[in-house]
Parts: sequence; structure tokens; C-alpha cells
Amino acid sequence: MPARRPRGEGAIAAMFVLPATVMLAVVLVFPALVTLKLSVSLEGQGVSGALTLAHYRRAVADPVLGQTFRNTFAFVGLSLLGHFLLGLGLALALNQALPGRALFRLVALIPWTIPDVIAGIIFRWMLNPVHGSVNAALQAIVPGFPSDFSWLSSPTLAFPSVIFANVWRGYPLVMVMLLAGLMAIPRELYEAAAVDGAGRVQRFLHVTLPGLRVIILVALALDMVWEFRRFALVLTMTGGGPGTLTEVLSTLVYKSYFQFFTFEYASAIAILMSVVLLLLSLPYIVLVGRAER
Amino acid sequence: MTIGRWGRALLVTLFAVVLSAVPATAQVKVRFQTWHWNENPWVKALEEFQKGFNAASPGIQVVRDDSRYADKEAVFITQSQAKAAADIAHFSYRAVRHLADRGFLMDLSPFVEKEGGEKYLAQWDQSALEMCKYKGKLYCLPDDLNPLVLMYNTVHFKEAGLDPAKPPATWAEFLDYAKKLTRDTDGDGKIDRWGVGIIGARQEGLFMRFNPWFWGAGGEYLAPDGKRSALDTPEAIEGFRWYVELFTKHKVVPAGAIEQGAQEVRTQLAHGKVSMIITLPAALGIVEAINPKLNAREVLALAPVPTGKKKVTSAWFSMRVISAYTKNPDAAWRVYKAWHEGDTQMRNFKIAGVLSTRLDVMNAPEVKNDKFARVFAAQTPYVKWEPLIAEWPRIGDAMIIAVQEALSGVKPPEQALKDAHGATNRALGL
Repeated sequence: MPARRPRGEGAIAAMFVLPATVMLAVVLVFPALVTLKLSVSLEGQGVSGALTLAHYRRAVADPVLGQTFRNTFAFVGLSLLGHFLLGLGLALALNQALPGRALFRLVALIPWTIPDVIAGIIFRWMLNPVHGSVNAALQAIVPGFPSDFSWLSSPTLAFPSVIFANVWRGYPLVMVMLLAGLMAIPRELYEAAAVDGAGRVQRFLHVTLPGLRVIILVALALDMVWEFRRFALVLTMTGGGPGTLTEVLSTLVYKSYFQFFTFEYASAIAILMSVVLLLLSLPYIVLVGRAER
Repeated sequence: MTIGRWGRALLVTLFAVVLSAVPATAQVKVRFQTWHWNENPWVKALEEFQKGFNAASPGIQVVRDDSRYADKEAVFITQSQAKAAADIAHFSYRAVRHLADRGFLMDLSPFVEKEGGEKYLAQWDQSALEMCKYKGKLYCLPDDLNPLVLMYNTVHFKEAGLDPAKPPATWAEFLDYAKKLTRDTDGDGKIDRWGVGIIGARQEGLFMRFNPWFWGAGGEYLAPDGKRSALDTPEAIEGFRWYVELFTKHKVVPAGAIEQGAQEVRTQLAHGKVSMIITLPAALGIVEAINPKLNAREVLALAPVPTGKKKVTSAWFSMRVISAYTKNPDAAWRVYKAWHEGDTQMRNFKIAGVLSTRLDVMNAPEVKNDKFARVFAAQTPYVKWEPLIAEWPRIGDAMIIAVQEALSGVKPPEQALKDAHGATNRALGL
């Protein structure tokens, strides 16, 4: 027969958790409820307005929102791919016994320490067609490279430029998580595989990747949530332009709320964004639930 | 542990010392919010106002409250949602009606009535004052109103063989001058100076530079009844194409036009990268601050925006407002009133170069005889405003998108404007 919990232990535990719960409710739940109510309120009437689904009907018919959703999915997908490939590559490199490994690990984290808005401004300056360092460097390397090439004005290269900046800015988090996962894989597995005649590629495919499976899923799931909400980098680099080519959901919500003064429609977009994000996060939630059981 | 007799005596003494350090009259703090706190030369005008007012009004203290031009509305809206907005905030005319509709602004009518009502209001230019009224209420007193003009570098003109005393007066002349001013100045075979700086960045400053050309061609945003878009007219496409083709076809504008905002363009002028820009009075002081070596007041000159089919320009119109959530409305009004008084407005002109809408300042000899101010002031009769309707922000954004798409080659100008036409009609509910 299992030992019974002392009386009152549950209440004491609840008391310890209560402050954090209250804070979460105030910081997360209350604003979410206000946003939800705003999204179904008549335009111009604020939270206390009469109920309507007009903003959701408008969202469904809005071509700009449709384009923005596509942009956001592309932005998130490509950023995740970049973070994973660069993060995994660097994690594998930094897991080797190299001289100065600790220093390299520190340097590799630097992009992550730079705030989004600063990173956006830095890249905007670097990519400036007249004064930017990127054009100057490329001119020195590539003969005939135009001195005034416009990265952020280019219809084909503005979006990749923003993605590049975002990959540079965000890979360290994935790298750190994968590095922790790599360090947790027992060396004996690699030794056993080597004894069985497995080459480097086979060891990577059959030892490393399976060992990292859960960590990869967690890292990408968390990264997906963060990239879906990326705002300051895009706003400072392009403002969503040229036109709407780099507009993402977060910048559209900001614009709708603070520049168009359509609080209610902006809230509807934010709610739709949250629903989509929740659906995309389901694999992570299921995985965590299974791991706990 | 109990506090003994000596301990209690010590506590009482400390309490008395602290109390005596508090001023006899508690100061009311009035938060004065503007992005100009971070700009030269404006900050000098603000600091002098703050110092003078605080010295003259011991019970009230004007407190600096910074915002940024790009997110001034976001800051104020967020603060207002928390009922903690700055007591006095600063916007362009475009934002005030929207903020009023949300209940964020105080109606100034009761204060004005106490000051004398219509007699008090007669101190200002009446057309400017009308723009401060909305749905029967008065949400501001008109502040500075600054028509946009052509600002050009006379040294560049001379180097290009142009007469600085004869600035371009028509579109054809403007384009001719711009081409001559676009040059390779250091002989390396690459253009390093361009005739014109234009704005293509996503900011409201784009309209002030774009609209004179757009309206000058006869283009309009809305049909006369205000209920549908007029962006599909030949005049609209002509004005739109004119602006865009300065960059795409005539190449008299530096690369990366859609990345250039107002400050970038002023910086280009300050450093001699461009020879002409469309700008407002405060730009002179800003350019001077960016590059004191330019000797801006000697080198730069002003002229009306070249005329197309219509003589028209746009303007920057400052409006300061009092928050509906101010905890000290009377103190806020005293600060607000002092800011709009003649001596403050004259100081703003002398330091920042802005044109007041107060009649006594507008007609003062220092303003009328100033070689720059009189050019700006002469354009006031030609000022036109965008449609002051609730849908304007979305319509304006559609136009910004169209300009960027055309400048970057995402779409041909006709298609970009056609899409803006559709977006405008959707914004109007059609």
C-alpha cells in the first residue's frame, strides 16, 4: 500500500505555485482574453463593443493577409531549416576535442546575444546599396560586382536577405540545444558502431541522429514558435517591403493596430495567428506528454 | 526586540528630517512627450521651454518624456490603454482624429472657454484651427504648419552650370536640372552625386514628398464624392509614374530608394550626395546639425515645388494634444497653453525653423523677412491635405505599397497603382 501524503501537503504546494500562476494569468491569460473579446467586438467600440464576426470574415477575404500568411510560413520554414543546418553543423564541430573549443563555443553564441532590433539595423546598414560593407566586400572579391546593388529593394533578394539575417541571429539557440544532446550520447555507442565497421556517415545517420531525435523535435518546435512571432528584425530591416514581399504576421498585426488604428481587426489576426501556432505546436505537445508518461 | 525610548526618538527625528526635505508645495509633474527631445536643434528649444516654464511655475514641473517618430502612435496608444499616457503628446494631424475616436484625447473646449473662447482662438490662423476641431470638439490648438518646398544646393548648381537664382519652376525644368546635377564628381567613372533625393521607405513622410507630384499632375486619392478610389484616372497614373520614374527610368536618385526615409534623404543632402530634395522648414536646422561643414544657411536655397498641371504642395502640421487620462488636467493645460504662446512659438521658429500658426508670430518681421521662412510661408495657400477620413491609414498604406512595388520593380507602375486602387476601394467598403 503506497504511503499516504501528509495532510495539507497539497495545499502547501499550491501556495508555492500560486504566485507564479497569478502572474501567468495576469501577463498571459488576461491579455489573451481581452484580445479575444476585441476580435469579436464592433470596430471602434473597444472591448465593451457589441459582438460580431465581421473581422474574421474580413480576414478570410483579405488578400494581404493571405499573402502575409504565405510569407510567414516561408519565413518560418526557411529560418528553421537554416537554424537546423547551421546549428547542427556547428554543434558537431564544437563537440570535437579542438584546442580553444570553449572560446569557439562562446563566440558562436554572440549572434544570439544581440537584440533583434539591433541586428536588423546592423544588417540594414551592411546591406545599404551606397554605403554598405557587403557591397564593398563583394566588389573586392567578385570582379564587376555592381557597387550599388540593392539587396533590400530587390524583389528577389529582399526576402532571402531577411532570412539570412534571421538565420544568423537565431542559430545559436538550436546549436546549444543540439550540442547538449550530442554531449549526452554515450561514447560507447560510437565505439561499438566503429567496431562493427560503420563509417563516419553511418555513425552519424545511425547513432547521432537517432540520439538527437527528441532534442531536434523540441528545438525545432520551440524555434518555430519564436520565428512565427519574429517582429523587430523584419520591421527594422524592411518594414515588410518592398511592397508586401517581406510582410509577416507580426508586422501586419502591429501595422493594423498602431498605424491603421483598427484594434479589433488586428486582434482577429492575432487570434488567427495563435490558433495556427497552436495547431503547429501539437506534435511538440504530444511528444512532451508522451515523454512525461 | 522592542524599540527603546532612544530608538523611538531616533525614528521621530529621522521622520522630521525627511518631511522637512519635501518642498512646502508638492510639485505636479506634467509629462511632455515628443520625439523632438532626441533631435538637434529641436532639443534646445524644448529645454529652454522646460527651464523657463519650470522656473516661472514652481508648483508644476514639465518632465521630458521621449518617444520616437516611428512609433509615437504605438507608444501613446499603449500608454492610453493602460490609462497612463503622457499628459501632453505630439502627433501629425493625421493621427489626432483616430486617437479622438478611441477616447484617448481631452476636449480642450472647457479650457478655451475659460481663456475667452472665440476671442482666445482668434489668435490663430482659422483654417489651421478648423483642422483641430472634430465632431464638435476641439482636440488641439494648431502648432506649427510647414509647407514643403524644394531645397537645393547652390554650389552643386554652379558646378553643373546651372544658375542658382533660377531654380526649376516646372516639371520639365526639374527633370532637366536633375539630370545635369547627376554626375561623377571624382572622375572614377561612377556616379557619386545624384540630382534628387526621394523617400520610398514605409513612413508617413513619404506622402509629404510624393503628394505634391501626385496632386500636381491632377491626381486624386478619392472621387469627388469621397466614396470611391480615383487612383485609376490618367492623372493619377501620370503623377505616380513621374515620382517613380525619377528613380527607375531617369536614374537621378541614388540606389536603394525604398530604403530611404526622411532622415536618410536629409543626410544625403547634408553630405552632398544629392542636390535637391522636397522638404520642410525644420530640415534646414537638421541638415546643419548633420553636417556643420556644409554651411547650410549659405549653401542651401529654397524654391516652390515645381509646378505640374497644378500648383500644389503638402505640409507637415504639428498637433499637440492632452491625454484624456491625465491626472492633472489643469496643470497640463497650463503647460499646453504656455507652449502655444507667442514667445514660445517665436523661439521655436528661431531655433528649429518651424512656422507657427499664431497670427502674431506668422506676421512678425523676423518671420516675414527671413529668407527661408518667407519662401515656406508663401506656399501656404497651395497646401492640400490627404482625405481626412477614418480609412485614410489603410489607403495611405496601399499607396506606400504601390510606390515601393513600382520603385523596386515588383510590378509595373500601372499594375501597382491598379492594385492600390483596388485596395482603396476595399478599404472604403466597396
